[in-house]
Amino acid sequence: MEIKTGEYNVWNEGSIIHYEGTLRLSGTDAYQPILDLMQKVLADKPENIVLDLTQLEFLNSSGINLLAKFTIELRKHPDLPVKVLGSTKIPWQSKSLPNLQKLHKGVELVIV
Amino acid sequence: MNQFGDTERNNGPTAFAMRIMISDGPLGVSWQHASETCEFLGDVFALRHAKDGADYTDARHSIIYLVNELLENAIKFRVPGSISVDCSLEGGNFELTVSNDTAPAVAGSFQTLIKEIISRDPGELLIERIEANAADENSSGSGLGLLTLMNDYGARLGWDFRSSTSGSAVTLSTHAALTLN
Repeated sequence: MEIKTGEYNVWNEGSIIHYEGTLRLSGTDAYQPILDLMQKVLADKPENIVLDLTQLEFLNSSGINLLAKFTIELRKHPDLPVKVLGSTKIPWQSKSLPNLQKLHKGVELVIV
Repeated sequence: MNQFGDTERNNGPTAFAMRIMISDGPLGVSWQHASETCEFLGDVFALRHAKDGADYTDARHSIIYLVNELLENAIKFRVPGSISVDCSLEGGNFELTVSNDTAPAVAGSFQTLIKEIISRDPGELLIERIEANAADENSSGSGLGLLTLMNDYGARLGWDFRSSTSGSAVTLSTHAALTLN
């Protein structure tokens, strides 16, 4: 599955979901196709799930809310290992991603 | 005039400053204008800040994030009319004021939200609101952007509401200040 635009790309390779570019959509409805993609990966009952954000330069608060909503959904699968990958070169990630661990203790956050 | 939060301005007349006006227009076009405006201001003010050896990347990102969030709110909640964006930088203190006209009913419900935001710990309220949003499919997540700015970026926010000079609308000015690293 792949969502490709001039500003951002979201795609999955098995249970790894990649995000790239700048995501500045106008709200919950606009983010729905991306949430659908994420939920489809979860519905395939993967052995683990990885959100690779290392190429996502910008994410507005509506987008952060999308990640938060999905993280809360992942709590319903307590045995599913969840890894969130971030980059120290992209400032929003060190500032905002730790909130995901507050929502779900099982999230392994790796910012390198 | 009704005031809330931290509306104090510290940057003086000799600060590096800029004003941009965003004209009225359809949502999609305004969204693009907001995007270009925040990128431009991020570049210009971070370059200025980095002249003193400070961290360009972090300053640029923080400015872009702050300007973008306040402009998104202004575009979503304005009545037809322009949005003014005033920025200044002095000694690592970045100040921003975004002003636009809004409907009286919108201003009223926004004031209720603001009162809650400024009376609580932003980190605690942020998590609480995210949980509430996840439980309610129809929720738009209002206030999350402001709470993210306060909690994750250390932004100091303030608001003032006054009668608009044109018609029955309310002029809302959102003030924000950030200490750049």
